[in-house]
Amino acid sequence: MQPNVNVVSLVSIGRHPQSGRARRAEQDGRAVELGLKLVQDKLTLLHAGNAHETVLRQYAGMGLDGFTVLPQGEGDDAVPVLVAYFKANRQHHSRQIVLTGVNAESGESSGMLPYLLAEQLGWPIVPRIADIVRVDEFEAEVLLALPRGQRRVVTVSLPFIASVDSAAQEPRQSAFARGLRATLTTLDYGSRVDDAVSHWQVAPAKPKPKRLKVVKAKTAADRMKAATAKPVGGGGKVLRNESVEEQAQAIFDLLLEEKVIR
Amino acid sequence: MSDIIRRDPRAEWIVRNRLHPLHLSLVKSQQGDVRGPSGLLRKNVRDVGFIGPNGIKRIDRANLLTVDTTTRRSASKDTQTARPLHVVEQADFYIMVVADMVGGRLTAHDKDLLGQAHRLVVQYSDVNSQCCGAVALVCFGQIKDDQLGLSGVDRLFHLEDTVYDGFSPEARLGALQQIESQYQPLHWLFPDSVHGGADLACRFSARIGERLAAHVWQLDREQCLSRGASGSMDIKRATPRIVTLLEECADPIEDTQHQALPMVLEPMAVPSARLKEKGQMAVDASAVPLAEAEFILSAGNGIHNWAQFHATATALGATEGASRVAVDEGFMPRARQVGASGTWVTARVYVAVGISGAIQHMQGIGQCDKVIAINTDAGCDMVKRADLAVIADSDALLMALASLVEQHQLAKHAEQIHGENSNAA
Amino acid sequence: MMLDWLPPTLIGVLLVLAGVGAIRRINLWRAGQAEEVAILAGLMAMPTRYLHDLHHVVDRDKYISRTHVATGGGFVLAMALIVLVHVFGVNNTLLAWALMAALVMMFCGALFVFKRRLNPPSRLSKGPWMRLPKSLLTFSVTFFVLTLPAAGILPDGTGRWVFTLVLSALILLSLSEVLLGMTWGGPMKHAFAGALHLAFHRRSERFGGGRSTGLKPVLFSDNDAVNKVHGVAKPSDFKWNQLLGFDACVQCGRCEAVCPAFAAGQPLNPKKLIQDMVVGFAGGSDAQYAGSPYPDGKGGVQEVGYAKGGADQIITDGLIHPDTLWSCTTCRACVEECPMMIEHVDAIVDMRRFLTLEKGDTPNKGAQVLENIIATDNPNGHSPESRTYWAADQNLALMKDVKKAEVLFWVSDGAFDMRSQRILRAFVTLLKAAKVDVAILGDEERDSGDVARRLGDDATFQSLAKRNLATLSQYRFSTLVTTDPHAFHCLKNEYGDFGSTALDGVEVLHHTTFLNRLVKEGRLRLDTFKGGKVTYHDPCYLGRYNGEYEAPRELLASLGIDIAEMERSAFRSRCCGGGGGAPITDIPGERRIADMRMEDVVSTGAEMVAVGCQQCTAMLEGVVEPRPVVKDIAEILVGQLVEEVH
Repeated sequence: MQPNVNVVSLVSIGRHPQSGRARRAEQDGRAVELGLKLVQDKLTLLHAGNAHETVLRQYAGMGLDGFTVLPQGEGDDAVPVLVAYFKANRQHHSRQIVLTGVNAESGESSGMLPYLLAEQLGWPIVPRIADIVRVDEFEAEVLLALPRGQRRVVTVSLPFIASVDSAAQEPRQSAFARGLRATLTTLDYGSRVDDAVSHWQVAPAKPKPKRLKVVKAKTAADRMKAATAKPVGGGGKVLRNESVEEQAQAIFDLLLEEKVIR
Repeated sequence: MSDIIRRDPRAEWIVRNRLHPLHLSLVKSQQGDVRGPSGLLRKNVRDVGFIGPNGIKRIDRANLLTVDTTTRRSASKDTQTARPLHVVEQADFYIMVVADMVGGRLTAHDKDLLGQAHRLVVQYSDVNSQCCGAVALVCFGQIKDDQLGLSGVDRLFHLEDTVYDGFSPEARLGALQQIESQYQPLHWLFPDSVHGGADLACRFSARIGERLAAHVWQLDREQCLSRGASGSMDIKRATPRIVTLLEECADPIEDTQHQALPMVLEPMAVPSARLKEKGQMAVDASAVPLAEAEFILSAGNGIHNWAQFHATATALGATEGASRVAVDEGFMPRARQVGASGTWVTARVYVAVGISGAIQHMQGIGQCDKVIAINTDAGCDMVKRADLAVIADSDALLMALASLVEQHQLAKHAEQIHGENSNAA
Repeated sequence: MMLDWLPPTLIGVLLVLAGVGAIRRINLWRAGQAEEVAILAGLMAMPTRYLHDLHHVVDRDKYISRTHVATGGGFVLAMALIVLVHVFGVNNTLLAWALMAALVMMFCGALFVFKRRLNPPSRLSKGPWMRLPKSLLTFSVTFFVLTLPAAGILPDGTGRWVFTLVLSALILLSLSEVLLGMTWGGPMKHAFAGALHLAFHRRSERFGGGRSTGLKPVLFSDNDAVNKVHGVAKPSDFKWNQLLGFDACVQCGRCEAVCPAFAAGQPLNPKKLIQDMVVGFAGGSDAQYAGSPYPDGKGGVQEVGYAKGGADQIITDGLIHPDTLWSCTTCRACVEECPMMIEHVDAIVDMRRFLTLEKGDTPNKGAQVLENIIATDNPNGHSPESRTYWAADQNLALMKDVKKAEVLFWVSDGAFDMRSQRILRAFVTLLKAAKVDVAILGDEERDSGDVARRLGDDATFQSLAKRNLATLSQYRFSTLVTTDPHAFHCLKNEYGDFGSTALDGVEVLHHTTFLNRLVKEGRLRLDTFKGGKVTYHDPCYLGRYNGEYEAPRELLASLGIDIAEMERSAFRSRCCGGGGGAPITDIPGERRIADMRMEDVVSTGAEMVAVGCQQCTAMLEGVVEPRPVVKDIAEILVGQLVEEVH
């Protein structure tokens, strides 16, 4: 089944959590993977930003002959350009699906971009999808990713925007040479600086303080006890000679306490 | 617990026995208040304590020996009455908290947000003491939590209608818009969660055209600190009206109770839904990717009965993992291998069955919170690392564990049926 | 009726036909890519290469080397004389006697070939190869009889036309095998292609005792290269002399006998692979193949006859399953053992390059590992800032601070692995005890690129190599030492292709070589080792790739250890299964290579196996206990170090 829709995967430049280096973003890669699953190499790979970023070729290396870039400066707002692009595109394709990641891996990463696009284009947005099961004339059936591997089935009318969750199919390997050969198309829809950003103070993340277990003590004696008591479970308990039932019970109790058994 | 007044034979016996050290205090407490000639309530300052066994007067400040009055009530009632009630007569402004309410109950995340909301209210009141704000909770669907007031809810927007059931972001957005236009709250706080909080916040922000601050973890009246660039940057900026907050952004309310007064909304038009829910799909817990799994049951060389291992994992609802040896022997697929050359896991609870703990494996579970080891060798590295280690044969132990879980499930099931029956009644 | 004209005519016609076949065969090779080769010098050097280098390899099996000298030598001599005596009719009794002597020699050799074929070992190919000794015998007998008149033993015109006719039929039969077979694709093809292969070998440095083991880089730089396929997709993407090399195969199966992947039941057989390459460029199917097939990874074998190929067909579409290519551990045992000096590993990596660079199809964890290497410069995706954590308590100088040092210690990715860190610490302790002026690169170091390159991602390898070279060029040092033979090989043999002067005049050493020098100079005081029996496992990348067999053995001997050598040691050492990214691509087999190697260790009765490679240590320690202890030589030395008391 190859539905007659125009699928656009909107990608950004990722950031490796350990090295901080530019990379194929986890969720955006999944958005491309899902797009490839739907329409193979007819997928449009779109990026708003620096056209010469080599990471874009990593996306293209997943199996595309080319990609489109709407050139933008460092602090520009991508939304107006993208809206202009999709409005222009609407004349050619009435049925469109736009796939993005949930949050960008750099910048503010508020995850607002798909919502702003949807609002301004008047399209519905489906958040955190794991898969698109079916696409037909007017609507698509998608799977929403819920915590702990659960899925919810939702139908949505075309055209729509979807953000792809980390639960979606992992992106395939990028073939270096294929990406190297991919042709770059740049389309100029102008650019607009994001003013708000200039008022921000940006600093490397400080470690977030871990919340301590607060002891609610009504009396001085209780507070004293709480302050001087040995922290529980420091060394690790070893059950050696208990019966199997007792041992199992001990494990079971710990699992219950940790709330992994419900 | 019931409100039935019960006799306390011991207290009665003390009242009869004038030589009992607690006799005096108990008699006093039963006498009730003593009023002076002018009608004022009087307190006998010498009438504290008791005479100890060696004739010295003792004051029991820790209340260790205190016996209640002859009546005893349920403990929960007591703590409830102990909290002072925070009353907001007339709210001049509102701070809205849109709760996730997973399963009809406030999540810990929701409670943190309520605590944060109250801190904001206090900050605004400090600036203008005439002003009096209220924390309003917006929640959709059925509420099973009957103690919202204890979590700091001053006002409650409870939208219970079938249109808000399940996955209904468009209807919910409509309701938020209605609240916005009717009450113009000072701030909207959303939990930055996968349960729909972040989604609704983004929809709302896009709809009313106001930029939100996402992943905020420190917030006051003027400024907020939000995590950007996948958690690697802190962005400090002026606090906007709409904020999505991370977990543990503030302490939850624990010392006061609140009114939780229901609020009414003017009737509104429900937008036609373009997203239609078709129900939930059950997904196998063992299919969860290893790196994201929260609870892993991992098998090593010490497993002999693999069918039983799989059955236990299913019963526990745990994701299956394996040591390199178990994978090499072909008992488990390579994708299930835990360790330096396999997957580095981040599970909260990791149960290692028959894994002695090669150094590469220990590296792979470095980030696990609680490790439980089941092994026959008490001297192995895994037992040393474990928070709870059990020296036993894996076969017998897994069987016992599986039967315990089964009983637990049965008991819970029975309770559920019972609960439903009583509801129906 | 005189039929005297018949034998010479037959010989002449067959010679011409063979010539036609040769041209046809040469054209098949020419379908490959261009490669600069010194044609004349190569042809001139060919006899020496044959007599010295090739014979040296063949001579590891005395039986067959003598057999071959007799048969091959006799045949070449006989063929030359046949042309003179029978075609050109040179009437010289001496020549005729010489011809007969050659034929007798060949006959004797052929008898031994025949004997070996009576009950051939499984590594030998059957089919037409079973016919060969008979053809050789026929050839020698026929021409012996045919030459009798010329030698004057029998009068001219002996026998009647029936006799001549029978002789002519036998000539036709035997010459078809040895002449037509040579150029039209029979078993004797190895003589023709083999000779030219020796002349035009892609690694001419290998001859005359040299060594050439570094892989050739893929070209990315110029614009033409971008649009070409990277790596080898079709047989015609190989260099022409690689195709020629494949044709040289004698199907002796020595590679098959030493291949660790084949022994483990993984779907690889180096001999079949080379034959499949021949099927590839010559077209057709592998139905003619009569040797051991590829194992299927489950204890059985893959059926022969279904693989089809052509010069312009994608190899992995129907000729070879990609799993075959990914099973290789790049241990070079096949190359070392090949009497025809065929380069199996080059071909495998060339084809892997296509799979990784063009198709993005590296199996199992390959993709993830490559992505990690690209984003973090190490295969497990650790933070590059944590590379020096292991050395927090080692008080090591950083090159960044000192700028120059006598010795640069290349730490390698073992820095991230807790087991390998023990080796690193042991080595540092030894360096300090010997008061060596040493520094490390610290966080500036990157993965050497070994894994990326063997997995076919030459782009990432080259990027790492260039960045590492740029870093190295900032500092001054006379010696570079590493505990990782894989990094050692890359730095020593493969970094030279990138036009950097960073390593000019720098001696790149493996830590065993370096430690051996320290011990010999008396800079390390070591106690005698009193543990049990010890054996030594040669890492492939130290031994076969770099020829270092002695230093580790001398080091162990200096501790008073009398090594209990394994049956397969030194250049015949069996791989641990950890090379070439094999643990990452993880192709299923019937058994594990490391388990087999550990069995080799156990069979010596050793209680400890000494290793000189962190990858080998990890693989061998991965064998389920009880098993002998695995220790790096540096760790053993540290245990015996006599600390000087101040």
